[in-house]
Amino acid sequence: MRPPPPNALVNKIVALTLCLLVFSGTLGLGAVWVRQEIFSTANRSNVLESKIADVERRLDEVDAGVAIALNPATLLRCNETMRLGLVAPKEVQVVRLPGSPELRLRERHNQEIFSDSAARLSGANTGKFRLVLASNP
Amino acid sequence: MSKGFASNIRMTLLAACVLSCFVGVGVRLVFLHVVDRDDLLKFVNKARRQIVVEHARRGAIFDTKGDLLATSRSFVMVGVDPEMMHPEDQRQWPELARLLNIPANDLAAILEKSMTTGRQALINTLSLPGEKRVRWVKLADEVDEDAYDRITRLKVRGIYGARTYKRIYPGGELAAHVLGYVNKEGVAVSGTEHHLDIYLKGEDGWIESEKDGARRELAQFRSREVPVQDGNDVVLTIDSVIQHMVENELKTIADNFHPHFATIIVSEPQTGRILAMGNYPSYNLNEFEKAPLDAQRNNAVTDIVEPGSVFKIVAAGAALDLDLVTPASVFDCGETSIVYKNRPLKLPKEDEPFQLLSVAEIVAHSSNRGAAQLAMLMGEERFYEYACKYGFGRPTKYQLGGEVRGILEEPKNWDGLTITRMPMGHSIAATPLQVHMAMSAVANGGTLLRPLILKEIRDTRGNVVRTFPPEKREQVLRPSTAAVLARLLHGVVTEGTAKGFDIPGFDLAGKTGTTQKIIDGKYVTNRHVSSFVGFFPASRPEVVISVIVDDASEAKGIAYGRTVAAPSFKHLAEQLIQYLDITPVMTPTPGVLALNGGVR
Repeated sequence: MRPPPPNALVNKIVALTLCLLVFSGTLGLGAVWVRQEIFSTANRSNVLESKIADVERRLDEVDAGVAIALNPATLLRCNETMRLGLVAPKEVQVVRLPGSPELRLRERHNQEIFSDSAARLSGANTGKFRLVLASNP
Repeated sequence: MSKGFASNIRMTLLAACVLSCFVGVGVRLVFLHVVDRDDLLKFVNKARRQIVVEHARRGAIFDTKGDLLATSRSFVMVGVDPEMMHPEDQRQWPELARLLNIPANDLAAILEKSMTTGRQALINTLSLPGEKRVRWVKLADEVDEDAYDRITRLKVRGIYGARTYKRIYPGGELAAHVLGYVNKEGVAVSGTEHHLDIYLKGEDGWIESEKDGARRELAQFRSREVPVQDGNDVVLTIDSVIQHMVENELKTIADNFHPHFATIIVSEPQTGRILAMGNYPSYNLNEFEKAPLDAQRNNAVTDIVEPGSVFKIVAAGAALDLDLVTPASVFDCGETSIVYKNRPLKLPKEDEPFQLLSVAEIVAHSSNRGAAQLAMLMGEERFYEYACKYGFGRPTKYQLGGEVRGILEEPKNWDGLTITRMPMGHSIAATPLQVHMAMSAVANGGTLLRPLILKEIRDTRGNVVRTFPPEKREQVLRPSTAAVLARLLHGVVTEGTAKGFDIPGFDLAGKTGTTQKIIDGKYVTNRHVSSFVGFFPASRPEVVISVIVDDASEAKGIAYGRTVAAPSFKHLAEQLIQYLDITPVMTPTPGVLALNGGVR
């Protein structure tokens, strides 16, 4: 049996070193890629944070605008400038009803519906059903 | 046999090269990390590291129905960095001027001057290291977000904005004394803003990170981050609509009577919640810097007045509560003096002559001598004890602070006449809120409550973090006594000093007060504190209203509580009946309607 050539070991070391370099290069590139991802994600979230802050600022602005528009003094001014003639009711104009007005209105509405249906059912225009048997053409 | 590439010389050379590279890198690293470390760190820190402070948004203040009373709004302070300006951007200047609301010529002048001085400063800095560079020239203070967006779209180089929050009060004057304000330095000065600053202000956050050459944050290099905590929102018991009614009424009083000050308070007797608290003079919170200090005072808690005849509820209530009298008990109110503790005491004057009056009539007609006799019946100690129970002479524990305790001397310090004068509301001083809460106690079955102006505190997500339930302070009268006294106070508007001010079906109960003012240590006959304090409906009180007017000018003579304060009370009551949907305690019969001339 022949002994192995003396440089074979060195060749193996060189090959392994090259492999190691490729591997570590890949790792390095991977690390760079990960860092790049972190970078872009951080930037995206930063942009989103700024957008949220911007939206909140605008909401505050809108809220303030709405509050100014709904201020009683502003509404009264609108009433005057638009000549709406809206005034608070006086006790003499108020008729107080017992019970819930919503229920009362619903009851009246239902009565109207049912009395209307009943009238239509009993009237001349009431639809007539025709019995059709399977044997008929 | 071939040795391939790996000859000894080549291998040695390769190894030497690799080694020298490593050594080179190592040496450089040693220089960077050890030798030059301090200098480099300083440079990097200065050039790249930054700490950005994120300012907390101050919480908002709402009324009881969720309407906004105070909020923070962001504005942008726009400026220019002269070193970054480019002459080719000049064509954008007119549009920039329009957006900044500055005349185009003025803006051009500012920018040209900035450019020249900025460059000169830069040259000076290069030649003289001590010179300061000019990097910021302010152009406009309060640019809104939309305008700033359009400015950034112009892409004028060197134009920057710095965001600032400004406090906005949408109601202007509405509830000015209750809300208080935050001054230009961001310091909460008075009212809710000051007293609840700890809840409202929040906590600033900060971010430690790095920035790029264009000063943009490099978010991936954030090393430490303390999140910002926005302030909590405060909800008051104030109802803006009722507050507006009150302030309108105060304007009417001011126009008609030109008083020194006037206060109106509206509250719920069962909870002590204040629905409105207004003062004249007032001021616009958005222009607080223009308001004199006198107008900024919440007179309802900071000023004291002699309560006058309203204080007769103490003598009458105490005498009834101690079962010393009944509403039908009769006193001779025609007497000018009376023997008390074996000493004749001169009784106070009456506005009109009376003879025999029952307790009910004493209250209805506001007899000074009758009230004095009621107090003498129970003696100084017990009368003083009841005055204390009603809350006089001690703070009401008003939640926003700043209140004074009033003046109520102990009996040992009274002179001989005090027992005859105090029952009519002299020799004592109280804040309008103390007077109001005393009447509230009568309306609340004899229980004195703490006045509540804070409803709840909410965090930024709207969760309630603190509530303020009703707080009992004292049982002043038995509920039965309070009910009797309420009935007697109803007599004031049906047959007494405020006759004609009743609203049929709603049983108004109240007490007028007209007190001479003390000027230079003496009571004067031409200056008065006029008041009307009461509640309705008498049998199931839903609202307590106090109208107190200091030093009203009445052209027709004395500024009586009946002529100055009672009309405002009635007008407010009529509005509140509709707004709060208070139902009448009894429907007027056609006979009653006919007696009232058809007026319900």
